[in-house]
Amino acid sequence: MAADFDPTAPQPEPRTRIPLTLERVLLAAAMGAMALITAANVVTRYLSNISLAFTEEYSVALMVVVAMVGTALATAGGRHIRIGFFVDKLDPGRRRVAEIMALGLLIFCFGLILWYGGRMVWDEYDFEVLSPGLGHPQWIYTICLPVLAVLVIGRALGRIIRLARGEDG
Amino acid sequence: MIGTVLFCMFLILLLGGVPIAVALGLAGALAIALADQTLMAMPTNVYAGIAKYPLIAIPMFVLVGCVFDRTGVALRLVKFATALVGAGRGALASVAVLVAMIIGGISGSGPATSAAVGQVVTRGMVKDGYPRPFIAATVGAAAATDILIPPSIAFIVYAVMVPGVSVPAIFMAGMFPGILAGVAIIVPILIISWLKDFGGKNAERDENSVWQSFKEAIWGLMAPVVILGGMRIGAFTPTEAAVMAVFYGLFVGFFIYRSMTMKDLYEMLVEAGEISAVILIIIALASVFAWSTSTLGIVQPIAGWIVGLGLGEYGTIALLMVALIFIGMFLDGVSTFLILLPVLIPIARAFEWDLTWFGVILTMKIAIGQFTPPLAVNLMVSCRIAGVTMESTIPWVLWMILAMFVALALVVVFPDIALWLPRVTGMM
Repeated sequence: MAADFDPTAPQPEPRTRIPLTLERVLLAAAMGAMALITAANVVTRYLSNISLAFTEEYSVALMVVVAMVGTALATAGGRHIRIGFFVDKLDPGRRRVAEIMALGLLIFCFGLILWYGGRMVWDEYDFEVLSPGLGHPQWIYTICLPVLAVLVIGRALGRIIRLARGEDG
Repeated sequence: MIGTVLFCMFLILLLGGVPIAVALGLAGALAIALADQTLMAMPTNVYAGIAKYPLIAIPMFVLVGCVFDRTGVALRLVKFATALVGAGRGALASVAVLVAMIIGGISGSGPATSAAVGQVVTRGMVKDGYPRPFIAATVGAAAATDILIPPSIAFIVYAVMVPGVSVPAIFMAGMFPGILAGVAIIVPILIISWLKDFGGKNAERDENSVWQSFKEAIWGLMAPVVILGGMRIGAFTPTEAAVMAVFYGLFVGFFIYRSMTMKDLYEMLVEAGEISAVILIIIALASVFAWSTSTLGIVQPIAGWIVGLGLGEYGTIALLMVALIFIGMFLDGVSTFLILLPVLIPIARAFEWDLTWFGVILTMKIAIGQFTPPLAVNLMVSCRIAGVTMESTIPWVLWMILAMFVALALVVVFPDIALWLPRVTGMM
């Protein structure tokens, strides 16, 4: 399989302990809010003199939420973009092992984001860094990075357990 | 030394089936660690890499694609186009290409277009006397025009990464090369259909009146006008144009075609959110990779070496062409840009190429890679829908690859094909 998001690939619902509805509701809310904020921006610009340009800051923060929450959802379902050409030629047992190793690396990667991201947020809190647009404390935006990294790691662990039991994939 | 480690580690992870985002992030983190820099650079770059206003256009255009996919606009476009061109040899195959181009004007991703068009035309084309491998080849090749015809996610990423290139300018610049590519693909399709007598076999085809099918299809045809028109008159930024198209699509889905429910709306938001996230997380972790390659000074020597080969302008473009089509067979357009642009842009600067034009020809190369067997992503989708193997499409798809090469060569030799439109519309 080549690397891109394949809309026709079968999407079996993984049997997770914490329902994926959590990610789905968060994603739908964040996407809907981004669309509504942008639309409100256009409407107020043409109908009044009030500028809602400052809302850009919220939209950008929402996009970071979308990226992390959607990553958790794609991790649970094994739908990340990857080059499966060589791995998919292995027999099912080895393919399972390869995928567990890949998930281990994913956990390591988001573990780094969790650890150093946590320190970054602490520094911003400690030095009272303000956001460039609205002057809010910057940490209220960046904290979603380490917090949602926990979610991604949890979903990866869940998938490793399911793969080891012979489910998924 | 660190550079070699970085690229070797990246390649091993990539070919081992590790998600591309993770491979980029870990290779970048390793390089930072080896250079004795602090890993605090990792979360900083992840956050700064996606917290950019122009990037909001990506989730919004993905949402536009999902909305219009559910309205069932593709089927209505096919009916209208069929009513227009009739049902002779090669007619329905040409319709498939034209519809893929219009859907390309709504959605921003090749595989999504390949799926939307494939699902609608495959059965009709089989009845009309086209062999299945030919259908898969046609749909896969036609969908490749999608990343050229605006809106295009690959273009958004290019414009965000390359200073001095604006999203509206490169959108406009992709227009004519995209149309040219579509027309170029239709040429071998018609010639093959005439020689092999494909199409025009379905006796029980229901005749649609042109006017009736036009009234149904006009809502879909208007979507690219809303998107491009809004940007053209300067009323909207690309992100705003996307959001307007979302609301327009919802209006059509809920009130005109009445094919949509609130449950659909929820599912579309989730679907678009996940697809966007899969792209955005690659962008986020690629910025760690890019930061480490540029800070450690790995990129400049590679670019300098390629310029120093002394191949001249066309020779260098030919070299990049071969390299990019090969890479485009493995990687999607966005990842290709994220990994290679740090090397490619200094090369373009050395030759003083126009960076908007350069983005268009790079994207054309990636588009060709998207339907070149054995790994082509568009072709994989259309083959699955048609129920054939990718190998079986080779005798047909080769001619379409050749045709698109000719289109690419024309844009290389005559840059005005790309640059005329943004210039007259005042975008650059």
